[in-house]
Amino acid sequence: MAAAMETVESLVAHIQALTKPEDVAQLHSLLKQSQSDEALRSQGPHLAPLLADLDPAKHSLGYLYLLDTYLSSSISREQVAAFLPSIARFLNTCSAYHIRFASDKFISVCRCFKDQVMRQQTPIQGIIPLRSAVQKLQNSSEQLTTLHSDFLLLCLLAKCYKPSLCILENDIFEAENPKDLFLFYYYGGMIYIGLKRFSKALECLHNVFTSPMANLNAIAIEAYKKYILVSLIHSGQVPPFPKYTSATAQRNLKNYAQAYLDLTTAYATGKHSEIEACIQQHIEKFQSDNNLGLVKQVLSSLSKRNIQRLTQTYLTLSLQDISNSVQLNGSKEAELHVLHMIQDGEIHATINQKDGMVIFHEDPEEYKTCQMVNQMDLSIQRLMSLSKKLTAIDEHISCDPAYLTKIGRERTRYEFDDFDSVPPKYL
Amino acid sequence: MASSSSSGITFKLHPLVIVNISDHYTRLKAQTLHSGESSSCAPPSNGGTAGSAPPAPPRVFGCVIGVQRGRTVEIFNSFELLFDSKTHTLDRAFLEKKQELYKKVFPTFYILGWYSTGSDVEEADMLIHRSLMDINENPIYVLLNPAIIHSQKDLPISIYETELHVIDGNPQLIFVKSSYNIETVEAERISVDHVAHLKPSDGGSAATQLAAHLTGIHSAIKMLNSRVRVLHQYLVAMQRGEIPLDNSLLRQVLSLLRRLPAIESEKFQDEFLMEFNDTLLMTYLAMFTNCTGTMNDVVEKFNIAYDRHSRRGGRTAFI
Repeated sequence: MAAAMETVESLVAHIQALTKPEDVAQLHSLLKQSQSDEALRSQGPHLAPLLADLDPAKHSLGYLYLLDTYLSSSISREQVAAFLPSIARFLNTCSAYHIRFASDKFISVCRCFKDQVMRQQTPIQGIIPLRSAVQKLQNSSEQLTTLHSDFLLLCLLAKCYKPSLCILENDIFEAENPKDLFLFYYYGGMIYIGLKRFSKALECLHNVFTSPMANLNAIAIEAYKKYILVSLIHSGQVPPFPKYTSATAQRNLKNYAQAYLDLTTAYATGKHSEIEACIQQHIEKFQSDNNLGLVKQVLSSLSKRNIQRLTQTYLTLSLQDISNSVQLNGSKEAELHVLHMIQDGEIHATINQKDGMVIFHEDPEEYKTCQMVNQMDLSIQRLMSLSKKLTAIDEHISCDPAYLTKIGRERTRYEFDDFDSVPPKYL
Repeated sequence: MASSSSSGITFKLHPLVIVNISDHYTRLKAQTLHSGESSSCAPPSNGGTAGSAPPAPPRVFGCVIGVQRGRTVEIFNSFELLFDSKTHTLDRAFLEKKQELYKKVFPTFYILGWYSTGSDVEEADMLIHRSLMDINENPIYVLLNPAIIHSQKDLPISIYETELHVIDGNPQLIFVKSSYNIETVEAERISVDHVAHLKPSDGGSAATQLAAHLTGIHSAIKMLNSRVRVLHQYLVAMQRGEIPLDNSLLRQVLSLLRRLPAIESEKFQDEFLMEFNDTLLMTYLAMFTNCTGTMNDVVEKFNIAYDRHSRRGGRTAFI
């Protein structure tokens, strides 16, 4: 026992000594070696006071190893709870360079942290530390890590959406684990719904069920259900499956979302009564999926949709006529609706209160400001970088053996002396 | 052997002459190269040298014609002459026949001198020069240097006159270099422009014309940018005190700056920004289409490669 304590103390001494960047590799090998022998693990529960000696910012790697051993050993929940502030401090102040040497340990520490925070029902505590953890673990802002979905889950549970935006707004180009990707976009979609940014929510949810998948998974089904509801709110109809959706998804998703598809057909008629009847019919289904709130929003969006349809027919209209055609209760309510829509920028109109007339306008944007120039310039730059990435992917796929084999097989039906661009080894 | 001329005669050279000389030279070079290759097709004996060095490019000779008015000599045209390399003289009969023909078409043109190619004046040239002196008492010698030197910015053409100098007690004629200007007629300007830009002969499609036009504008703007940058650096250095102040230059820069902006009014701003934004939108649209096309290709390839239940047969890729 004493010998074990000694090895641990010598390890701590080593950690404190090797702080320079060049020594990190050495320290890492030392720590890996110590991990394999039992001494450290047996000491697990007693490591707490030792950790107090180490500075998380300077001795990040050593701190991480010891912390992981401590947390994975058999300690009680209260001990973990007591340790929570130090874990938070570690996550906030650790050095990203050190962490990347032992990313799996880092992830397990963060998992433990998240579990504890959720158990305590105070998810808000975990948001800031986890966000800094995510930013430190990423190699670049375009990479998805396992921690992303955990972080978003905490934000959702705490109903604090703002901190997640800086992570959500990055475009993801690399992901290691498909489940991470699904969860990330599903939670991201829900956060955007909470923020009422329906177009971004649509993008995220769209990404979930159009991802390549061999077998259907529950996340995709749930995402598809929400996707139907959000697209009804946002644009009034559900677009068909795009070409890049996997065959599995295309064939099977509709079977699980029958109630929602009925809602779509009811919405298309444009009548309140129809939709309400449909909702009543499937109310248990909606409730069990926790989508009842969204469904109610679909109902209220119907009047907005109808008013928008009116802008395409009329130039001016009286408030009374609006309320009649949209089945609202009186011109006051119609005025309120139109006012809200003008404020949200969904239509362009002016209300003349003297005679209760609404005049619909065209989009007043004339594209003659410098801000517009800047905006366009930014968009074009973004598009150019995206285009470069796409051409790189295109080349990559063209050289992929799986692709060449499939193409080669179809080619052999041509004449012998035809120009054959696939080398024979792929046939 | 050559020093700068002090005769006070101004020379005006037309681009047609330059193009003629270079054309003559290129043709002959191509012909000798071709005939040299066909004669050396026979395998070299004893596997001697790996390959004979290409034959030295031949010198071409010809006559230049034009008009002389007072102190100005304007060289309009040129024609080729046969050169007898054994006797190092020009074929006289040929020359006179050609002269007659040209006189019929251009009555005002006289033979002003002759031309040749090479890097510098040679001794043998004096003989040819003297032989022409009976046609024109002071002939001129136009020399074109066919070597392509990329760093050289000026035309590789030099015009030589002869002067009588007393060297070692003997009066001798030596070649002296003279300066010249390039003078163009409208037709020549168009043809030079055409050759310089190598526009497609049938006018090309709208895309190539647009691309050529934009390339031209791009190079013009690049040149303007580099010049403004030079001026800027110069002014900054002057401000720092590294270069002594030059007031006349500063005045010129000031007058240049005063010329901008050309128009300044709100209506102009509006219109200008609208057009600018329109062009940006077009670029954006073009990029979008491009990106969408690439995306489509990627998706198709991905579907073919990885979709387990892909369509077999029927759909084959475009060859």
